[in-house]
Amino acid sequence: MKAAHRVVVTGCGAVSAVGATSDAFWEALLTGRSGIARLPRLVAAQLPVTVGGEVAAVPVGRADRDVILANRAIDEALGVARLERSAVGFIWATGLDTYQEGERGPVFRPAGSCFAALAHPFAEPRRMVAAACAAGTQAIGEAYWQVRAGHVDACMAGGSSCMLSPFYIIGFAALQALAVDDGDEPSSACRPFDRRRRGFAVSDGAGALVVESLDGARRRGAPVLAEIAGFGMSQDRFDLNRPPEDGSGAERCLRRAVEDAGLAPGDVDAVNAHATGTRAGDLAEAAAIRRFFGDDWPGKPVSSLKGALGHAMAAAGALEAVAAVATCRTGVVPPTANLGDPDDGCELCHVIGRPRQEDVRTVLSASFGMGGQNAAVLFRRPA
Amino acid sequence: MTYLVAAAERRLADQLPEEPARLRRDFRRFNLPVQLALAAATDVVPAAEDPASMAVVSLAPCQNGSPELYRWAEAAIAAGSAGRFGATRMNPTHTLHVIDNLALSAFAIAYGSDGYCLGVGGAPGQAWCGLEILCERLAGGREREGLLMAGDQTRVADATGSRGVALLFSTQRRPYAALGRAVELVAIEHERRPSPSPVVAHAAAGLCDFLGALAPHGAGPFAYEVPAEQTDGIDHVTLVLQVA
Repeated sequence: MKAAHRVVVTGCGAVSAVGATSDAFWEALLTGRSGIARLPRLVAAQLPVTVGGEVAAVPVGRADRDVILANRAIDEALGVARLERSAVGFIWATGLDTYQEGERGPVFRPAGSCFAALAHPFAEPRRMVAAACAAGTQAIGEAYWQVRAGHVDACMAGGSSCMLSPFYIIGFAALQALAVDDGDEPSSACRPFDRRRRGFAVSDGAGALVVESLDGARRRGAPVLAEIAGFGMSQDRFDLNRPPEDGSGAERCLRRAVEDAGLAPGDVDAVNAHATGTRAGDLAEAAAIRRFFGDDWPGKPVSSLKGALGHAMAAAGALEAVAAVATCRTGVVPPTANLGDPDDGCELCHVIGRPRQEDVRTVLSASFGMGGQNAAVLFRRPA
Repeated sequence: MTYLVAAAERRLADQLPEEPARLRRDFRRFNLPVQLALAAATDVVPAAEDPASMAVVSLAPCQNGSPELYRWAEAAIAAGSAGRFGATRMNPTHTLHVIDNLALSAFAIAYGSDGYCLGVGGAPGQAWCGLEILCERLAGGREREGLLMAGDQTRVADATGSRGVALLFSTQRRPYAALGRAVELVAIEHERRPSPSPVVAHAAAGLCDFLGALAPHGAGPFAYEVPAEQTDGIDHVTLVLQVA
């Protein structure tokens, strides 16, 4: 079925370890600065990993911190788009069930209760997406399909996560997925694609996009920040804990996103990579991106935000989408923080040290979730 | 046109299927709600024409985790109050008991599924969203078959109330196995309530109750009003069906 509606982004919001608004977030990304730090509460708990990307603007200690984080990003995006909650659908990814720090100790917070607390003011559809690390990207893709098919005029899409808690630090450490402290430089703990990478750093955050039909945006005189040109998803069908080495599942996902847009890989100018800094994941992703571009890969800039932000789980794809929209608007690709020495097998056109100022108009933003669930959204500068 | 062609419900862990072998081998890694959802899905897959290409929507449990994870969390909280949180050790397998999309991934691995796939989260009322998504996919001609599966439990501490359910839909008019009649899902209607209504968080129970209400139904139209506590508390939800 071919789309009847062109779909655009008319508002963005971001709350992250490097900035509590989308502008602050973007400016920080361009500096290559990392928001990952050693956290006294993790040190005090004697955890095996003591670094993370905490959102300082929303202090720890409230059981509803997940809702507060999400609402900040949502409020910002709706403000930019000049829309009310009652006028838009809601497709949202939250983190996993966890315990939050309450005033009298840990309080159990099911992910569904965060969604329910957020969803009430919104119009139909109100859908919660659960796809692990791909959830934020998948929520945006689902919203895109809803608007493109004409089911809704506008939809709030994105994700939020509040999983930087001792419970998940122990759990992910048991899976040997986390980056341990790196000497005196906790900010460099997470090193996507780098030879010295040792895993990811958990972080909190929220990213929100108002996804709207171009016709609707024009009627309202709303700002058009970027167009969503395509969406793709795939399953690795391989293993619950690791991707296939050749990145074939991820590559299918990237390919489907550009096919959905009626484009070819050569039309993509840059990639916002998932790369979390794990040994196997980064290798598979680099292989997938090379296969996707074929001989063109040396000229296609790739950056990962995880070195700066940490891994914000369900919010990761949404935050990366906010950055991809900014890249479409400005043409600038942010650097991969903490990447200095690309590993063997991770050869790509990396953006190292400073942002790359090019006329980038089309960005593929990809997320690859645990269990092998993959999603990618193609953004482009509106013609 | 969207037709319900098969459905299954699972309540007991000792009934886990032997096939596919890969799924059987992985079962120990999942919590009981995910095991039961996958077992129910396995029951309906033989009625599918092409499991690899059908749309698959999986509901995350509203009550995630497992008794093992619950006991670990209790121990960790106790250790934390003594300033020794970091001294607790977790079985890595139990970590997987809280990952919300594993049923979807496990199904894809077992059946080679690589069509449309979506994990819908564990918030109350999302079952009807999952159903709606499948209807949109099939009505849009994107896929010819769709599977909805869900597993949940009432209480994590001892896995009380664990149930799994799976429903298989097709664009082709075929009899629903349980009735021997074609059952068309005509529409899913929403109407906003004047004020929010209390809900019971359970991903599978609502779908099981719907199947139970459908079971004795004869030919004719059937409007199933979803009990308020099984919605998201915001909307009245009505499933409009036609039984041939």
